[in-house]
Amino acid sequence: MAEPMLSLKEVGHSFGGLSVLRSVTFDVPEGGIIGLIGPNGSGKTTLFNIVTGYIRPLAGTVTYRGTVLGRDTIQQRGLRGLVRTFQTPQVFEQMTVLENVMVGCTKLTRTTMLQDLLRTPASRGQMREIRARAEAACERFRLTALRDLPAASLTAGQRRILEIARAAVGEPRLLLLDEPSSGLNVQEIEDLRDWIVRLNDEGITILLVSHDMGLMTVARTVHTLYFGEIIATGDMAAIQRDPRVREVYLGV
Amino acid sequence: MSSRSLLWLVPCLVIWAVLPFVLPRNVADLLVFTGIYTVAGLGIGLLLGHCGIVNLAQATFYGLGAYASAYCTVMMGLPSIAGFIVGAVISMALAYVIGRPILRLTGYFLALGTLALSAIASALFFEWDWLTGGTLGIGGIPKLDLFGFVLDRPSRYYFFVWIVAFACMIVAHNLVDSRTGLMLRAMRDSSTAAASLSIDLQALRTKVFVVCALFGALAGSLFAHHVSFVSTQSFTVDRSISFLLIPVIGGATSIPGIVVGALFVTFLPELLSKLGDIHQILFGLALVAVVVLMPEGLVGAFGKLRTRLARRGGGHG
Amino acid sequence: MTISLVLQALFAGVTNGIVYALVGMGLSAIFKGSRVINAMQGEFAVIGAMTTVLLLTKSGWPYAAAIAGGAVAGALVGAFIEVAFVRYMAAKNASEDSFLLLTIGLALSLSASILYFVGRDGHLLPPLGSEGVLIVMDAVIQFHALWLIAIGIGATLALRAFYHRTTIGLSMMAASIDADGAATTGINVARMRTFTFVLGGLLGAMGGILVTPLIGVDYQLGLNLTLKGFAAAVLGGLTNPLGAAVGGVTLGLVESLAIIGISSSYKDVVAFSVLIVIMILMPQGILGRAGRRGG
Repeated sequence: MAEPMLSLKEVGHSFGGLSVLRSVTFDVPEGGIIGLIGPNGSGKTTLFNIVTGYIRPLAGTVTYRGTVLGRDTIQQRGLRGLVRTFQTPQVFEQMTVLENVMVGCTKLTRTTMLQDLLRTPASRGQMREIRARAEAACERFRLTALRDLPAASLTAGQRRILEIARAAVGEPRLLLLDEPSSGLNVQEIEDLRDWIVRLNDEGITILLVSHDMGLMTVARTVHTLYFGEIIATGDMAAIQRDPRVREVYLGV
Repeated sequence: MSSRSLLWLVPCLVIWAVLPFVLPRNVADLLVFTGIYTVAGLGIGLLLGHCGIVNLAQATFYGLGAYASAYCTVMMGLPSIAGFIVGAVISMALAYVIGRPILRLTGYFLALGTLALSAIASALFFEWDWLTGGTLGIGGIPKLDLFGFVLDRPSRYYFFVWIVAFACMIVAHNLVDSRTGLMLRAMRDSSTAAASLSIDLQALRTKVFVVCALFGALAGSLFAHHVSFVSTQSFTVDRSISFLLIPVIGGATSIPGIVVGALFVTFLPELLSKLGDIHQILFGLALVAVVVLMPEGLVGAFGKLRTRLARRGGGHG
Repeated sequence: MTISLVLQALFAGVTNGIVYALVGMGLSAIFKGSRVINAMQGEFAVIGAMTTVLLLTKSGWPYAAAIAGGAVAGALVGAFIEVAFVRYMAAKNASEDSFLLLTIGLALSLSASILYFVGRDGHLLPPLGSEGVLIVMDAVIQFHALWLIAIGIGATLALRAFYHRTTIGLSMMAASIDADGAATTGINVARMRTFTFVLGGLLGAMGGILVTPLIGVDYQLGLNLTLKGFAAAVLGGLTNPLGAAVGGVTLGLVESLAIIGISSSYKDVVAFSVLIVIMILMPQGILGRAGRRGG
């Protein structure tokens, strides 16, 4: 069997004595879409923060593409293809939509600041390349009409697509989506679902956290997190039938 | 550049070239200072407008540049270029060494850290009078000599200083328009998102801080050769605050705005000189006024006014 | 390094430390109550001291009344700043940097005004109690310094009682922790914020009035005390005004002990370096719970 893209083993964490994650273990196979559901406070965002490097876990290991992620910084993980989005879309408010996407391209090229200060041909060439890639991505994600608007003027749904476009343009291998449907209307969630499938078809592995059961059907396997522990695993149908899940969500 | 802006450029250049010959000598002298302050202010503007960092330490590097030029030419008899280079190298090295730890701070901690740095430098400039001459200073700094052409008059030095200032403006503009500029603005708008896109925040901040120090040192060396006498009074915390005022007044994200700010900081004391040393009070009040009323600086506020007027005009068109 | 040198340094350290503590407590109180970093906190000291000097020498007031006048001046300027500037900017959701620039601008205006109207000379006030000194093992401490320490400790205890026992103090704490919640219980949040500035101005003025008989007051004292007061506040934990008392004394001691054997003109360099170092290494202070990691 091929090596999983992401592997969590016994990951645990607590904040000030309050245990937030307990012995979380699961794999994310390459090319798959894995879902993570759970009530508020079950530790989903903390898990994301640990995987992406915003927090160092107190216990357990995170293995990405065969390497254990110990002290790798957020940026180093990103350069290796591990990218996330945020529960509230973190767009660059004062920059235009196109510039936002261009920022996503900056990790693909390397100019030194000196080259940029002196505007060498290398520096100019890289800017052209960044701009071209960003324009193509805007076309693709249907943001061209909004291209020159400041990101601050976008609606929640548009911000979400912008954030995903910006992350996608950097050629990620594993994309972590944290509650991508929050603040979106029904149509926007449909579009989002399509985008997730499309990106996955291109080979991007996806780990998805969501409240939205409908959106979650896009995932092949779903883990249910409750108070920091995984209590059920399976596809959405199986999850919805699972007695422990029903107890936790419906009090039944 | 579009042909329309070129049309504006030519008369502006002509006016710029003619100014030192038609204006009285003391005004030409002030315009030299404006050029020097533009160079120093550009660095602060980059940090403020593109990184969101308040840097109150510029007088440190300004002083280092000035003292390096003074020391190299007067005490060691070296050619002036040595002073420029030594000042630049020392400033950049110091900015790197101090910048790396201090730039881990953010917000007001960072601002106050730079303020403390300026206060330390000011005290050391005063204490280490074996190096700086203390309040007695170092005098007799020679005028610059460009291949036999001695820049001993404001009208001559004016051209040298402003060519250097234009070069610095071009360099600053290059930075803003480049990939690095994108990353800086991203860092300013959301450091969390910037980090998630693999932008090395710490390295960026440090590098821009070093560039700012370079501009400060360059301005300091230019200053030394202009006034021929440097002493500690020119490198106090008040001077750092004046430098900060330049992008705040003019608009931190606009490069022409820096020139506006530099004009303000240079000419206001002169305009009020009849009232004695009152300009410092007004600098403080100007900072307060701009911060409270026009957070985007004069150029920004002017831009907003233009948009509003244009919109009204368009409605009737 | 003789005992008397060390003892002398300890005396000086504690004395200066209490002054830094008073300035720092005011700064901390303002930060806690309004999240504004008051870069003109040291100027309150200068305002208080200068007012006292003027009332005493120009208007011929008795010393006690002049001191009261100076303290009131500090409190009033604090209130003025909050009402005239902070309120307006807070309503427009100004950024923290804007508030900092505001107070920096005010500090500059103030110190420049003092320079312009009063000149470069320092001014002294008569010491409290007698002019005498206490000598312990060849180390000297003025009686005024002893008064200063006593008043400083008293002020710290009073502040503690104020925060924990009076209605206003408790309201101020509540308003700073949760403005909306406090408002629903009938606390006038805006007025509480004015009170924090009044308190900060008062404490700053006290520090200035108390230190002037020892070192005199001039236009440059403000910046010096602001930076050292800030160091005291950070050492004690920014959101813990009482912590600044410990922070201030610690800073004073470090400052004085560090320059034994070196020229005393490096005192400020030591203090400002301590500020930078603690901000980087210990931003939550030696006492405080994590207030805020500066940005």
